[in-house]
Amino acid sequence: MKPTFEPAPQNSVRKVRSAWVDFRPGVAAAVGGIFIYAGILKVPDPVGFAGDVSNFHLLPWPLGVALAFYLPWLEILCGGALFLGWKRGGAIALLTALTAIFIGATLIARLRGINVNCGCFGTASKDLSFGWHLVLDFAILAALLLLWRWYRGDTRRATGR
Amino acid sequence: MRDLVRQAGVLLALAALPAIAQAVRYHDRVSWRAPAVAKDEVTLEQTRGWGDRVMWVDARPDEQYAQRHVPNALSLNEDRWGELLPQTLEAWAPDKRVIVYCSSQSCAASHEVARRLREEAGLENVYVLHGGWETWLEAQR
Repeated sequence: MKPTFEPAPQNSVRKVRSAWVDFRPGVAAAVGGIFIYAGILKVPDPVGFAGDVSNFHLLPWPLGVALAFYLPWLEILCGGALFLGWKRGGAIALLTALTAIFIGATLIARLRGINVNCGCFGTASKDLSFGWHLVLDFAILAALLLLWRWYRGDTRRATGR
Repeated sequence: MRDLVRQAGVLLALAALPAIAQAVRYHDRVSWRAPAVAKDEVTLEQTRGWGDRVMWVDARPDEQYAQRHVPNALSLNEDRWGELLPQTLEAWAPDKRVIVYCSSQSCAASHEVARRLREEAGLENVYVLHGGWETWLEAQR
C-alpha cells in the first residue's frame, strides 16, 4: 500500500505556543504561593523580623521595625495578587523589586563580613546556608522575570503597543 | 506603564492597612527606639560591670573564631560540641558568668549553645551577648 504523507497542520506552531503559555498560571501560582508562605511565617513575629532586618546594618532600627510590620503584609498581598491574577503586573513589579533589593542587601552584608540570617521564611529558613539562600532568591527572581516577560508580551499584544 | 504604577500603588497602599493595624496592636511589645534585650541576654555594658568574673564563649564556626575573637574567649560551636565542651567545663568556675556570643543579633547559634550549656552541661549563669560579635566589634572602634 502506498504510504500517504499528510502535510503538517498550519497552526501547529500556534498549538505548541498555546501549550507553552499554559505554564504561566502554574508558575504565577507557585511564585505567589512562596511569597504568601514567606509573609505568613513572618507576620506573627514582627519583633524577630525587625531583628533580622536590623542585622543587615543598612537601615536605622525604627525603619527596620516599620519594614518588619509592612513587608510581610506586602508579600502576602502581592503573592495573593499574583496567585489570583489580580493586579498581576503591579504585583510582579513589586515582588521583582523586593527580591532584587533583598539579593543586593544580602550581598552587601556578606561583603561587609556580616553573617546574615535573612529571616525570609521566619524560623523555617534559619538553618539554610548563605549559598542556598542565594540560589533560592535567584531562582525566585528568574521566575519573576519570566512572568514579567510573559505577561508583558500579553499586555503589549492586547494594547497593540 | 501608568497602569503598572497604579496597580503597584494600590497594592502598596492596601498592604499598609493591616501593617498599621498590627503595629498599633503591638505598640507595647516592640521598641521603636532600640532593639529589646531578651530575658537570657545581657548587654555589653552589663558585662563590663561584671569585671573578671566572666567567661566568654564563642559559638561561631572555627574559621571565624580563628580570624578574631573576644580576648580569652573559648571556642564552643555545635559542629565540634563534644570535642570542645571539655575545655569549657575545665575553665568554668561557679563564680563565673558565662557569656556566649555568635556573629550578630539574629544568629541563633549563641542561644542554642547557651541552652545546651544550661541543660546538658548543667551550668548556671549562662547568658547570650545582645548583638553578638558585631556589637563587641563596634565597641572596639
